Amino acid sequence: MFIYLIKRLLAVVPIILFAIFLMFALIRLSPVDPAEAYLAAANIHPTDEILAEKRHEFGLDQPLLVQYVQTVKKIVQLDFGNSYVTNTPVWQEVATRMPATIQLAVSSIILSIVVSVPLGFLAAIYKNSLIDHLSRLLSYLGASIPQFWLGYVLIFLFSVKLDMFPVEGRGTWQHFVLPSITLSLALIAIYTRLLRASVLEELENVYVIYGRTRGIKEKTIMVKHVLRIAISPMLTGLGMNLGKLLTGTIIVEQVFSWPGFGRFFIEAIFNRDIPVIQGYVVLAACLFIVCNLIVDLVQLYIDPRISRKGMAES
Amino acid sequence: MQKYKTKKGLLIAFVASIFLVTAGCSNDDAASQSNESTEGSSTSITMSWPRDIGAMNPHVYNPSQLLTQSMIYEPLVSYEEGGELKPHLAESWTISEDGLEYTFKLRENVKFTDGSPFDASIVKKNFDTIMENKSSHSWLGVINVLEKTEVIDDLTFKMVLSEPYYPALQDLAVVRPVRFLGESGFPEDGDTSKGITKPVGTGPWILEDYKKDEYATFTRNPDYWGDAPEAEKVTIKIIPDAETRVLAFEKGELDLIYGEGAISMDSFNHLKESGEYKTDLSEPVGTRSLLLNTTNEKLADLNVRLALQHGFNKEAMVEGITLGIEEKADKILSTNFPYTDVEVDAIEYDVEKAASYLDEAGWKMPSGKSIREKDGQPLELELMYDKTDPIQKAMAETLQAEWSAIGVKLNITGVELTVQIERRKAGDFDVDFWYNYGAPYDPHSFINVVAEEGWGVSEAHSKLPMKEELNKQVDAALASTDETERQELYGTILKTLQEQSVIVPVSYMKKTVVYQNGIEEFVFPANRDEHPFNEINVSQ
Repeated sequence: MFIYLIKRLLAVVPIILFAIFLMFALIRLSPVDPAEAYLAAANIHPTDEILAEKRHEFGLDQPLLVQYVQTVKKIVQLDFGNSYVTNTPVWQEVATRMPATIQLAVSSIILSIVVSVPLGFLAAIYKNSLIDHLSRLLSYLGASIPQFWLGYVLIFLFSVKLDMFPVEGRGTWQHFVLPSITLSLALIAIYTRLLRASVLEELENVYVIYGRTRGIKEKTIMVKHVLRIAISPMLTGLGMNLGKLLTGTIIVEQVFSWPGFGRFFIEAIFNRDIPVIQGYVVLAACLFIVCNLIVDLVQLYIDPRISRKGMAES
Repeated sequence: MQKYKTKKGLLIAFVASIFLVTAGCSNDDAASQSNESTEGSSTSITMSWPRDIGAMNPHVYNPSQLLTQSMIYEPLVSYEEGGELKPHLAESWTISEDGLEYTFKLRENVKFTDGSPFDASIVKKNFDTIMENKSSHSWLGVINVLEKTEVIDDLTFKMVLSEPYYPALQDLAVVRPVRFLGESGFPEDGDTSKGITKPVGTGPWILEDYKKDEYATFTRNPDYWGDAPEAEKVTIKIIPDAETRVLAFEKGELDLIYGEGAISMDSFNHLKESGEYKTDLSEPVGTRSLLLNTTNEKLADLNVRLALQHGFNKEAMVEGITLGIEEKADKILSTNFPYTDVEVDAIEYDVEKAASYLDEAGWKMPSGKSIREKDGQPLELELMYDKTDPIQKAMAETLQAEWSAIGVKLNITGVELTVQIERRKAGDFDVDFWYNYGAPYDPHSFINVVAEEGWGVSEAHSKLPMKEELNKQVDAALASTDETERQELYGTILKTLQEQSVIVPVSYMKKTVVYQNGIEEFVFPANRDEHPFNEINVSQ
């Protein structure tokens, strides 16, 4: 287990380095000159002298390799520089917006689990029943409705017409309802079908028949054995989506005026705030990696066979 | 089993703690704040704004918002309807005959919200910190010619210029940077470019509560020297999405949606046609124009420029694309700016005339072809537009179709805004979209960029035979101390520019406002960047 963990952690290093390289290359490939972008944000008329001075200050006149090494060095020290627009450290800007994003991500994930686990499980056990058809309909809807449209529809119905929830903003539990539903519907669609399929697969296994012949209660077989194993693919999906949600749910944050990380990123793109874009990309990569790692560890705990397999391979 | 229960408990505790910790980072006031609708106090106004209001520092730019900066900080001189300059924090002023010395008599008994007096020494202190960061403010003409400032006595302040510059007073009316921060707002080293300690102004509003990216609440300044606004409180909710703004307005969470581009043209018309709300359009705030670059040999020919101007149905294009919100523009500058009421001939849509101009210029239509040619070269041009701007894109596509009918091949290229600006400055374009600056910056900022290189506009005019003369006229107009002479010079400059058709006026852009019936009257501020809250009448 410990060795597995060390191996996984070591594998993170090249992935992050690759993410930094990709981000570095993409920014250099973009037609936007960071020095120009800085001067535009600071409202300084870009004369040739000031541009040259800024390019020198940002190290843009150095060879690309030197620039890349400098970038990696700074990022390793968690120094993402200052935002061109607000002139405050990117790290600080991100920290003030993270709580809002984390809250929304966690509430959406909880809502997705609360709905999709029983729904997917029941849809598998009662295959081709009403509940199975309902889960299928919900999945079709969730998979095909664009999030921004769903957001507007929910606001229009439940906020403008029925006056049940606020249109936008953050602060009370009511503010969580509509954005969480908007984010969850797509997740529920995927998880319900995923869980249904894997439960059906598990039900075919010998251990289920064996359990039944041993006289173990059906409920125990289903919950303690079938569900425990069948939930594994869903957990993997959950980890990936948690990473996605934590990096800011750009569209939903925009539609519901949610003051999170994603909305901040959109503003940074419009302002060509390169240090923020750079910081966002690296942090997003790290968040994805960490979330996946956590999910793997949880899976290891739920299904020890994975750990044994890993060790056997090593 | 016990082990499982403990683990489950731990998981629940973990999730709950995430919520508590993150909720702890948020201010509980947000709850009461965002729930507060317009039904509360009858004299409160709730409005939305697309971006956070930023640091309320009077001497910095983005991300500070002009709207809210103007609520707290005031100018020496204010810009009113038709460009009239009126006393504000300065009660009166005198200008020396040579146009170099401006002496301001400051208004008596004006206090900052920290209780400190507004006097000549604090005016100087503000000017000093602004001048310390001159490079950030060099876009403003008066900063470039400001030689020194002096405190004559408690209520008399003098500004000495290095050369005469008539728009100095207009420049003092802009929202930033020449507005005044109170003593207790200054940081220890006095350099406001790095930040201020608190927003202390003389204006009619005080920032009472603020939550980044969520809202800002302003209350009426009880000690305000001027006429107190009717509303007691203004709440600005930060709603980045235009459609959400409309939904919040329809629900009654907002009293008004105001600003340039604050609402889509479709939504504006939808709310207007519903008959449930009041809507209004401002006077033109600027002109949407096309810039034809004369450094391109084809466009150096006046006949080609005139042909292009005659060659598209401006009225139909503007009406169709802006849904009647913008108005067809015949003059480069609308006449609600000073010195712009100049008689010029409008260039009307006339395809035949366009064709004859092109024939005259030697661009003939070879038989069997659809693009005109001259010396074997096709009449092909490139129009650059900001790819994120749907109006520019739609207009580019219309022009492409319209001009192809007169035998001009127009290639349209969508680019990043920064690339558009960069290419314009470098003169690397054939046709581009361009906007003037609006009140209180025009017409002087407009004629300035026609003469001064570095913005792309002067460069686009560079092959005009009278360019040198034009530059001299611009310099003379900006330095002129004689009102009549200045009017004449403006007349000549604007007439020349209009006749030369390097700048092709397309439409007059307007601000929109949509408001609930509870607001009795809404008046658009004359200054494009100023807030409108002093003039709003709220029904009791």
